[in-house]
Amino acid sequence: MTPVPVASGDDTALRRRVLRRIASRPTVKGALLVLAVLVAFALLAPFVAPQNPYDLTALNVMDNRLPPGEKGMAGFTFWLGSDAQGRDMLSAILYGLRTSLLVGLAATAGALVVGVTVGLTAAQFGGRVDATLMRVVDFILGFPAILVALVLLASIGRGVEKVILAIVVVQWANYARLMRAAALVERRKEYIEAAVNQGLPTAYIMRAHLLPNSIGSVLVVATVSIAGAITLEATLSFLGVGVPVTQPSLGLLIANGFEFLLSGEYWIPLFPGLALLALILSINVVGERLRRSFDAHRH
Amino acid sequence: MSAFRHAVPAFAVLALAAALPAGAQTLRVALSSEPTSVDPHYHVLAPNNALAAHIYDALVDTDEAQRLVPALATSWKSDGANKWTFQLRKGVKFSNGKPFTAEDAIFTFCRVAKNETNIAGGNKDLIRGMKSIEAPDAHTLVVTTVEPEPLMPRLLAGIQILTSSIAAHGKITFSLDTNCGVTGPWPTVTQFNEGSVAIGTGPFKLKSYVRGSAIELVRNDDFWGEKSPWQAVKFVPVTNAGPRLAGLIAGDYDLIENPAARDLGRLKDDKRFAWVSTPSSRVIFFQLDVARSPSPFVADAKGENPLRDVRVRKAMSMAIDRDAIAKRIMDGAAQPAYQFLPTGMFGTLPNPPVIRFDPAAARKLMAEAGYANGFDLTITTTNDRYVNDSQIAQAVAGYLSQIGIRAKVDAMTRAIYFPRRAKREFSFSIGGWGSAEASNFMRYWAATLDAKKTHGTSNYGGLADPEFNDLISKALVTMDDEKRAELLRQAGAKLLDLHAFIPLHFENTIWAHRADLVVKGRTDQYTLAMSVAPAKK
Repeated sequence: MTPVPVASGDDTALRRRVLRRIASRPTVKGALLVLAVLVAFALLAPFVAPQNPYDLTALNVMDNRLPPGEKGMAGFTFWLGSDAQGRDMLSAILYGLRTSLLVGLAATAGALVVGVTVGLTAAQFGGRVDATLMRVVDFILGFPAILVALVLLASIGRGVEKVILAIVVVQWANYARLMRAAALVERRKEYIEAAVNQGLPTAYIMRAHLLPNSIGSVLVVATVSIAGAITLEATLSFLGVGVPVTQPSLGLLIANGFEFLLSGEYWIPLFPGLALLALILSINVVGERLRRSFDAHRH
Repeated sequence: MSAFRHAVPAFAVLALAAALPAGAQTLRVALSSEPTSVDPHYHVLAPNNALAAHIYDALVDTDEAQRLVPALATSWKSDGANKWTFQLRKGVKFSNGKPFTAEDAIFTFCRVAKNETNIAGGNKDLIRGMKSIEAPDAHTLVVTTVEPEPLMPRLLAGIQILTSSIAAHGKITFSLDTNCGVTGPWPTVTQFNEGSVAIGTGPFKLKSYVRGSAIELVRNDDFWGEKSPWQAVKFVPVTNAGPRLAGLIAGDYDLIENPAARDLGRLKDDKRFAWVSTPSSRVIFFQLDVARSPSPFVADAKGENPLRDVRVRKAMSMAIDRDAIAKRIMDGAAQPAYQFLPTGMFGTLPNPPVIRFDPAAARKLMAEAGYANGFDLTITTTNDRYVNDSQIAQAVAGYLSQIGIRAKVDAMTRAIYFPRRAKREFSFSIGGWGSAEASNFMRYWAATLDAKKTHGTSNYGGLADPEFNDLISKALVTMDDEKRAELLRQAGAKLLDLHAFIPLHFENTIWAHRADLVVKGRTDQYTLAMSVAPAKK
C-alpha cells in the first residue's frame, strides 16, 4: 500500500480522495455495482416485477410451487419459480429487497438520531447526566439484541414500522457510546475551549462544533450497521415476529421456504437467501473498506 | 483359528444388536403439536388428550375408529331415561399403589367441576349438569342427569380418572356445595406438570415433563390391560415438518406424526421407512362472528359487522375453492368438507349440499347484500396447530380478496391463539374439531351458550338460531338412536343454511415410522404408544 499523503487540513478534499481510492479497489467496485443494481431493482420493483406479491387477488393457489421457468395460469413466466401461495419468487424478492432496504436505512437513521443525541448530551454535560445516560446504554447493551427485539415485537405486534422501532431500540445504544467517546476527545481540543470562553451558548457549541467534528467515525460505523439492521429484520421475520405473512420480506420468504427443502423445492428458500446474502455482503464490503480507510487517515 | 471361531458369534451378536433399533425398548416419537399440560382436565385438546391416555384411564375408552370399548368400566347400561349405571373394573391399582374404586371416579368428577386452572371450561359444565352421582358399592357408579343423556358413555370417555389420594379428604360424595368432602386444596395444573400428582391407572407412568423439550414415560408394569412392548416412551415436540422428517431419516425418532404430505416422496424408495395415512374425523373450519357489531377484526365502511348478513357468509363460503386447497396446499392429504363430520358417521347428512366454487356468483351475492365494495377483515389463525394452518388461512385470504374483501392474515402460536379465542377476541378464526358423532360439534360450537346444559361452550361466534337450538336440544335428550339421528340430520341441514361456519376439509393424518414397526392409524388423530408395536418377524 502506497503511503497516503497526510491530511492537508482540507477535510473535504481528504474525504473525496479517500472515497475515490476506495472505489478504485476491484472488490469494492464489484460490491458497489451489486449494491447499485439491488437498490435500483428495489426502487423500481413495482414497475419491473411481473406480479404484485402483496396483492392477494394477484395470487393463484393453482400456480403454487412451480419450478423456475414454468409458465403459470396467470400468463407470465415464473423465472424463479413460485411459493406455496402461488407467489412469484422473483417479484417477492424484489419487493422483499425494498422492505429490507427500507428497514435497514430507516432503523439505522432512527438509531443514529437517538444515539448521537444521547451521546453528545452525555459528553457535553458529563457528571450525573453522563453517568445516568451511560448506565441506560449499559443496560440496553447488556441484553442480546435479538432477545430485546423479540420481546418487544411479541408485545407490540407485527408490521414494518414496528420492526423498525424494535431495531432502533436495540441499536441506538451503540451509537450513543461511540458518539460520546468521539465527542469527549473533541471537547478537550482548544477550539472548543475558545468557543466556551467566548461565551457561546452550549447548544450552539454542540451543534456547530462538537457534532460535525466527532460524527465522522459514527457515520462510518453506521454504514456497516445498515447490514446489521437488515440481518436483524430478516432474523425477526424468519422467527415469525417481523412482517405480516401476507407481505413477506426476505427473511420470511426464507422461513416459508425451508419447509420445502426436503421435498426438493429448493427455489423457495434459495433465491431469497442469495438475494439477502448479496445485499448484506455488498453493504459490508463497502462499509468495512470505508471504515478502515477513514481509520487509517485519522491516525 | 480359535480366535476367529470366537469372533464369528460375537460378530453375529453385534449384527443382531445393530439390526434391532437402538435401545429397542424405548419408543422415540416426534410430535407436531406439543401437549400443553399433563393435567388431563386442563384443556380438551387432541395432543393433551393423547398424552393423558398414556398415563390415565377413563371409564370408557375409544378404539382407533372411535368406537367405545370398556376401560375402567367393564359395562354400562341406561334405564332409558335419566339414569346410567356403570360397572367398574375390579383389581385395578393406581401407579401409587392405591386401589381404584367408585370414590376415585366421584373425586375426579368433582375435580373437573371445581377446576379453576383449566382453559375454555373443559368438561366442567357437563359434570355440573349432573343431578347425582352415587356409588351403591365400591365398584358400581350410578349417574343421574337432569335431562336424558344418550351420549353419557361417550362423554365420560373424555374424562380421565384421578386418584382421590392426591387431595386431603373425608368421605367423598358428589356434593359440589360442600366441596365433595375434599378438605385440602385441589391439585393444580402445576402439580400435574411437576409430576407429583400425575398418578393414573394407564399403561405408562410419567417420568418427566419438560415443556418444549421432551415428555418421558415409563411402562406401568402393574397395568390392568395388555402391557406395552415399550419399556419407555419419549415424546419430543418438533413443530416443523421438515426437521421432524429429517429426524426420522437420521434415526433420531422411531415414529413421527404429520410429516408434510409433499415430503413423503423422500420415503417412497427407502426400505427403512414406511407410513400410514388415515382419514380423520377432524374438520378444519372458519368460525364467523355472526352476532356482535362492531366486531374486533371485521368492519364495513360504517364500522359495522357485515358477517351478520347470511348472504355475506354464504358468498364467502362460495368464494373458497376447497378442492384447490385440498390438492395444492394439503397435497391431497385432505377431503373437502361440506358438513362438520365425514358423511357416514352417526347423525350426518347422507348428501350434504355441495358448495360450488363460484366467485362470480359470490360477488353477485355480496353486491346484493350491499357489499359490492367489500369490507376489511382480519383472518386469525394458529401457525402450529393444524396441518398447514397458516398456509390455509393465507389461501382463504386470497380467495376472499377475489370477491372484494380486503383480507389480512394474523398468524400466531396456539399458546396465544386459544386463550384469546376463548375471550372472543376474533371475528373470523380458524378451528379444528374431531368427534365421533354429529351432535358433538353442534352442541359445543353452534348451540347458543347455555352453561347449565353444556351447550355452546365454544360458540365464540355468538350464533343464536332458535330453530336450530330447538332441534339440537331435542336431539341431545332423545334416547332412541333412530330418532336422534333424524333430529341431528335436521339440525345439521339447518346449521349449514346458516353459514355461521365455513367448513374447509377433513384432515388425513399421516404417521411415518421405521419399517420394522406396525402402526395403527387413528381417526381421532391421537398419536399413542399403544398403537405402535414392533413388527413380528
